[in-house]
Amino acid sequence: MKNFVNFFNNIGKLRKIPRRGSVLIGSKQPSNISDHLFRTAIMAWTLGKEKKNLNLRKVLEIALVHDFCELYVGDKSPYDYMATLPKDKKKWPDIFDKWPRYSLVEKEKMALEKRKKEGKALDKLIQSLPPKIRKSLKSNWLEYENNLTKEAKFVKQVNRLEALLQALEHGQEEKIRVYKSWWIGSREKIDDPILIKFMSSLAKEFKTKK
Amino acid sequence: MSKKFFLTKNGLSRIEREYQELLKLKAFKTKGESPRIFHSEEVDPEFLAFQEDLELLETRIVELELVLKNVQMIVPPAKDKQNIVDLGSTIVVEIDGQQDEFRIVGTLEANPAMGNISNECLVGKKILGHKIDDEVVIGSDPKIIYKIKEIRYEELC
Repeated sequence: MKNFVNFFNNIGKLRKIPRRGSVLIGSKQPSNISDHLFRTAIMAWTLGKEKKNLNLRKVLEIALVHDFCELYVGDKSPYDYMATLPKDKKKWPDIFDKWPRYSLVEKEKMALEKRKKEGKALDKLIQSLPPKIRKSLKSNWLEYENNLTKEAKFVKQVNRLEALLQALEHGQEEKIRVYKSWWIGSREKIDDPILIKFMSSLAKEFKTKK
Repeated sequence: MSKKFFLTKNGLSRIEREYQELLKLKAFKTKGESPRIFHSEEVDPEFLAFQEDLELLETRIVELELVLKNVQMIVPPAKDKQNIVDLGSTIVVEIDGQQDEFRIVGTLEANPAMGNISNECLVGKKILGHKIDDEVVIGSDPKIIYKIKEIRYEELC
């Protein structure tokens, strides 16, 4: 059972890894990977109940596993792939109001590199687990990364909405400006009708609370 | 009426290949065997998730059958219509002074990280039907303008 103890111990460490987006916008109480995995799972599970034909067990498994690899590679924001973020933090708001833009070739290159690095990190994390469990964790992650099934696509979009919700909460609780990029990225990524509806509710709800 | 699934030629081949492989896998599993080819994730990681669970495998097969029954191929429009954004087009847009490049595809092939955006997302929906130099306004708060700089139709990969 030593292998399980080590694995759970490592999973616990995800609590100590802050979400990069929260850090970049200057949150004093950034959320962490564990928070994000937990709420993504709850959101995907409950919003998934509104949909027909989603396998919710699969949804939950994918949601819980999808960022395990960040234990070793850390959390990265789309801005981390830009050549450099200026050292002068006063320039950051202008940058964060724009979604980072890349050519198709650059997007494909970055996505493949990210997948490769994260795959290796996940392998390292789960290497001592029994083969059947290892396989299940890895296959759920691969399904998510490769956007293969409707469950994986759904979780990927919920993942984006959890980050948007977090940004809105930081805005409200810590008076941090909610940069335009949170909305821009979501409008290009979310195509599930229920999640589009949820995104529009978020906009209304947080506008009212301003 | 069943929902139509828009697919490029390559997208359809991928679905057909997956369907055939899963049928083979099911045949092996119901005989209590497991095909050796699936034992290595390097060989074909796409099908790993269905190795252990027959119920999941069967659900996925039914799902793929539904797609194959209701597929609508994405084909490039006639030459005189290629100045309009449609499914299968690759577009270059200017947003807030920056350039971006997308392919517009159906929801099954959407993968924004790879530049393939869905015709059913807010941006995809709004941008369809527009021409070069059109300014497409997305959302109200914040309101973002996508100016179309280039439209091309090419083989999707």
